[in-house]
This record gives sequence, C-alpha cells and structure tokens, in this order.
Amino acid sequence: MLPHRKKRLQNILLLLGSSFIGIFLILSALNSQLDLFYSPSELNKNNLPKERIKLGGMVKKGSIKYEDTKILFVLTDFEEDLDIEFDGIPPDLFKEDSGAVMLGSFDGNGVFVAEEVFAKHDENYMPPELSK
Amino acid sequence: MIPEISHLLTILAAGLFLFSFLVILSSNALRSTDSIIRLSLNCFNAATIFLICAFILYVYLAVMDDFSVKYIAMHSNSDLPIFYKISSIWSSHEGSMFLWILFLSLWLWLFVNRLDTQSNLFRYVIFFSAMVLLFFLLFLLVTSSPFERILPLAPINGGDINPVLQDPALVIHPPMLYLGYVGFAVPFVYICAYLADGEFRQGWETIIQKWSLYAWAFLTLGIGLGSWWAYYELGWGGYWFWDPVENVALMPWLAATAFTHSIHASTKSGVLKSWTLFLGLSVFILSLFGAFIVRSGIIDSVHSFANDPQRGLTLLLITGVIALISFGLFSFRSIKIVNSRLVVSGSKESFLSLNNILMITSIFSVFLGVIYPLITQYFYSTKVSIGPPYYNTIFAPLIFIAACFIALSVESKWQRKWKLTETLSKLSIPILISCFLTFIVQSLHQYSVSLIQMIGLFSGIFIISIYAFKLLMNSVNREFINWSSAVSHLGFGLLLFSIAGNSIFSYEKNLKLNVNEEYITEELEISFDDLSLKDESNHQRIIAQINMKIHEKIISFSPEKRKYFTRGQVTSETDIEATFLRDIYINIGEQLDDGSWTFRVQFNYLIKWIWFSVLLMILGILIRSRAIV
Repeated sequence: MLPHRKKRLQNILLLLGSSFIGIFLILSALNSQLDLFYSPSELNKNNLPKERIKLGGMVKKGSIKYEDTKILFVLTDFEEDLDIEFDGIPPDLFKEDSGAVMLGSFDGNGVFVAEEVFAKHDENYMPPELSK
Repeated sequence: MIPEISHLLTILAAGLFLFSFLVILSSNALRSTDSIIRLSLNCFNAATIFLICAFILYVYLAVMDDFSVKYIAMHSNSDLPIFYKISSIWSSHEGSMFLWILFLSLWLWLFVNRLDTQSNLFRYVIFFSAMVLLFFLLFLLVTSSPFERILPLAPINGGDINPVLQDPALVIHPPMLYLGYVGFAVPFVYICAYLADGEFRQGWETIIQKWSLYAWAFLTLGIGLGSWWAYYELGWGGYWFWDPVENVALMPWLAATAFTHSIHASTKSGVLKSWTLFLGLSVFILSLFGAFIVRSGIIDSVHSFANDPQRGLTLLLITGVIALISFGLFSFRSIKIVNSRLVVSGSKESFLSLNNILMITSIFSVFLGVIYPLITQYFYSTKVSIGPPYYNTIFAPLIFIAACFIALSVESKWQRKWKLTETLSKLSIPILISCFLTFIVQSLHQYSVSLIQMIGLFSGIFIISIYAFKLLMNSVNREFINWSSAVSHLGFGLLLFSIAGNSIFSYEKNLKLNVNEEYITEELEISFDDLSLKDESNHQRIIAQINMKIHEKIISFSPEKRKYFTRGQVTSETDIEATFLRDIYINIGEQLDDGSWTFRVQFNYLIKWIWFSVLLMILGILIRSRAIV
C-alpha cells in the first residue's frame, strides 16, 4: 500500500472509531437519562414504576386541597385517578379541570410526589393523549 | 377595506417574487442580459416595499382595534396599552409568521441591494432569495392567513393577549429572535448562488461575514432575552430548561457559532472552505427546522403555540425542499472547491476545526434529544421525555474539551505548528488558578459539588483566566491582543462560570404566612405586612407587602397576582431584588383555606451574570464586525 493511502486509511479508521465511541456515549447517556411519560390509566396500580417519570392528565374538579405549603390534588384522564402531592407553588395556568404535566416519582403509598409541575403558554392546552 | 388592502399587497408581493423568480429562470435559457436582471431586481424591490406597506397597514389595524380582523379580534383588546396592541401581532402563530417573513424580506432586500449587479452571482442570489420568500409567503397566505375577517358582525371587543404573554419582553424578544433566525438567510442564499454559479472565485467570505455576525448578534440577543423572560415568569422552568423550543433555538445558534469561527479560519488561512459553505447552509436549515418544531406542535413543549398538524406538514415540506435543493447543490458542486492551504496540525486553525467538530457533536446530541421522544413513540409506542440531566451529561465533557481547545488556539498561530513546552508554560498559570479556585469552591461547599458542576466551574474560570492573563500582558508590555476574541470568549467563560455557580449556590424556601405573621431563622426574618387590591384597565392586582431583614438590611418586596377580566385568567408577578452577587426572588402562591398565603423565596446566585456574559459575547462579535470592510 502506498504511504499516503495508508495514512488516509488510518485517518478514516480513526474518524470512524471516534464517531462510533461518540455515538455510543451519547446513546448511553440518552438511555440512562430519559423519563418515561404516562397518563394515569397507563399505569399498573399494583406495580407502580420506581424511577422518576413524567405524568400528564387533567386536574380533577374539586380535588385541590392545601396542607401547609403542600398542594394535594387528583390527576385524572377520565378513566383512572391518581393522588398527587406537590410542595411548592404551581404555575398560574394550573387550575381545576385543565391539563397539567408533572415530573416526579411515587412514594411507598401510591401517592405521586411531584418535583415540578408545568404550565403551558396556551390556556386552552390539553395533553395530546386527552384531546384525541 | 384596509384589511383587504393589506391582504392584497401581500398577495401582490408573492406574485412579484414569483415573477422575479421566473424572470431569472427564463433568463438562463435566454442568455441573461442586463435589462432582464434589472427587471427582476426591480420586481424584488417592489415586492419588498409592498410587504412592508402591508405590515404597516396591519400594525395600523391592530392599533385602531379593527376587530373585524379575526386574528386581531382573537389576540388584542381595546383596553390594552398601544405597545401591547402592536406586539399582539406576534403573540400567536399567524401574525408572528407574518413578522418572520417581513424580516426575511428585509434582510434579503438589504443584502441584494448591496451586491454588485454586474457579477455573475447576482442573478442566482435574486433567484434563491425570491424562491425562499415565495415559499413562505405562500405558506402564510394559504395555511395561516392573518387577514381573515369576521363579517358582517365584528365583535365589539377583542379576546385579549394571553395574560402570561402581557409582559414588556413580548415587545422585544420575538422580533430579536426572528431577526436572528432569518438573518442567516443572507449567507444561505449567497452560498446557494455561489455553488450554483460554479465559478468559485476567492473572497466570497468577506461578502457574507459581516451579515452573519449581525445575524449571530440578533440570535444571541433573542435567546438571551427569552431566557431572561423565562426566568422571571413563573412556570416556564427558569432561565434555561432544555425544553424542545429552547433546544431548537440552540441548534442554529451552535451551528452559527461554528460557522462564524470556520468562516474566520477560512478567510485567515484559506482552509475549511467547503466545510464553511456547508455550515452556512446548515444554520438556516436548522432555523427552519426550529420553526417547524415550534409551529407544528409535534413535540410537547411549554413554549409552543397552539398547534395545527396540517401547518406542520406544510412547513416540513418547505424545509425539506429547501434543504434538498441547497444540500443537493452542495454535494454536486463542492467537490470542485479547493482549499488554498491545508490545516497544519497544532496550528490555530486545527484547534478551531476541532472545536467545530465539538459543536457539531453537540448539535447532533441536542437534535437526538429533541427527536428521540418521537422515535420511541412511533416505533415502540412508549412515551418518554428527555430532561436536563441528559443534556448536562452530554454538554459537560464537551465543554471541558472545548475550553482546552480554546486555550490552545489562543496560544497558537495560523498555519504554524505549536511549540509544546512554550504553550504549556503559558497555560500553566491559568490551569493552576482554575484548579485552585474550583477546589476552594468545593471546600466552601462541604464537598457536595457534583462532577458536572465542577467541570463547568473549572472550564469557565480557565477561559476567563487565560484571557485575563492576555489582557494583563497587553496592558503591561503592549502585547498584541485580538479584542473581539478576548471580549466574546471572556463572555463565554463568564457564562460557564455563572451557570455553574448558579447551580451550586442557589437555594429556595416555600413559606406559608398570614398577614402580619413573621418567619424567622438565624440568617433572615421575613414578615408579611399587608395585602392590597388595585384595579387596572384590564386586570385586578392583588399585591402582597413583604419585608425581609437579611444581614441587618431591610428589603421590601411586593409580589403580586393579577386577575384578568377578559379571560378570567390569573398570573403571578414575581418581585426580584437584585444585588451584585445574587437575586432574591419572591413570588406569591395560593390562598389557603385558613386565609394564609403561600410564598416561594429563592436565592439565585450569579444569575444576572448570565445575561451580562451574553452581552459581552455580543459586544465581542460587534467589535469583530466593525473590523470587516
């Protein structure tokens, strides 16, 4: 093999190798850091996920209660209900009978403890799975 | 009548762009003559003027509260102050698309009229400009017309801007962002023309470099303003949240940053020519891709508009066609482009190229993060969301390596191999300083700083100290310094430093207080003194008076809630007390059953530094743009 071809081959192999390593690292970061997204009826009540998840649905009418700085409410998708607990101030568009998305995990008693609750710019927003 | 005139002018503009496009197309067959090219230029100019007039008329309609126009009726209100009436135009999809296209035509119009009409490239520039504008005007007119009317019974009053958007930032953030996004149409059309022409003359970089720098400045300012707005508006996840809409703004920004660097290398040392052309095309395509993501609603985001899949499909189609044409041209023609010199390993341009590769890697990672939820939903029917941890994990190592390459490129020269010992000796002091300071922070914080935070902190301090050292050398013994590079990289270093510092030092507390109740800890005393009501033109304000005693100093806060009459919606206005080092951020929550209120108190360290560093980066770029003739 000619020397300059050999060098070119080396360069190509180096490039391929490093991009493979790069892609592998990115994909493994992706897999370890993603949150699964559920609506209440997609969860199996007897086998709740242990990791952090995202949850989307509607805030059930008349379910919002306050306890100290905590806010308690029921999230529904009109099939199943879930109890939610959130310590903090929910966004302005958070209200009864409107859509909400939250990030958190279940405690031992089947209550979902939200770390964050999100609002939308658009007050007519509905989680996609409910507007179908 | 006026809405129809505005509508008609827009249609005429589209017609004239089409005509100008067709004239060039036929001139290719007819062997172009000067008069034909002049004709198409005149059409192009006329079309832009029509479009400007159409937009001015539309602004007039919004100011005069013409609620027979459906879009204005839905998004404006006669009670609004005049600047909100005007900015209600870009508070939703149709009007903001109108503004977007107006800016696109303005940029291209200015550019086309600065070019040499005699050059062979000129007709191609007109051709591609008219083509892009035509596509988007058709999109506006057919799928998202802001001119629709409610006749004969126009509503007496409008539906109001979404209260969350009633903020001074609405007046300025979207226009700046759009000016940035579409500003990259200038390098885009020029590169397309350059490739189509096929003569490949030298010196093309200087023609578009200045334009790209201005577009970069606007894009950066737009993103910075958006981040500032999201910070003080409750529920948008803070200054940066890795939300899909933020990510699709970050991708063109990263590509644009890579582009401004590689075009610099290309002018200075004649390397990376076709790579620069490719990047120039990519920036605009990524901007279009961003418009598609934001406006199609294909991905769930806090910042997205009300959605319409039909529009999304059309936008995707337009983006696809434009990408196909431009990248197609690139792949057929770029093979003929020869670099006048090669990249010397260990030279300035080699480190610049390596950082270019890192920026492409980060664009790819962000892109993957944005579309991965779509992939899993489509192929595995599981819904996932990619949160901040993914991006932090990816960006931390990339930024660390990038900081090292920045350091090496500062100490090396164009087209010259580096001298290992000399470089290392120059860098040893900054390395020691940044290791030392990172360690100090770590020990101050009881060794609870995470690896990612440490990497951010180290990289930030490292970059700052390199340039601080350079500045020192400059003032002591008049050593040469590249001011634009120094200022913008100091900005970048400061940005990393403040982001890391913010995530390390900030903390928050949730409180529940009755009127006249106090909350006392060792460091601070908070008292809730008063609650008052106040009526405004379109909303009622509930204002809380909070006094905080901290370090023997009393600060008063008045966070408030606003109830808007038209939509019955409630918004919270945070009150922020900013000092040099930190922001104290208070916002009022809900009233509880026992009459008390919840409050959230945040101590955000170094937060204002983030935007200061963004301004520094912009300043650096503006210094650079002045140096280009």
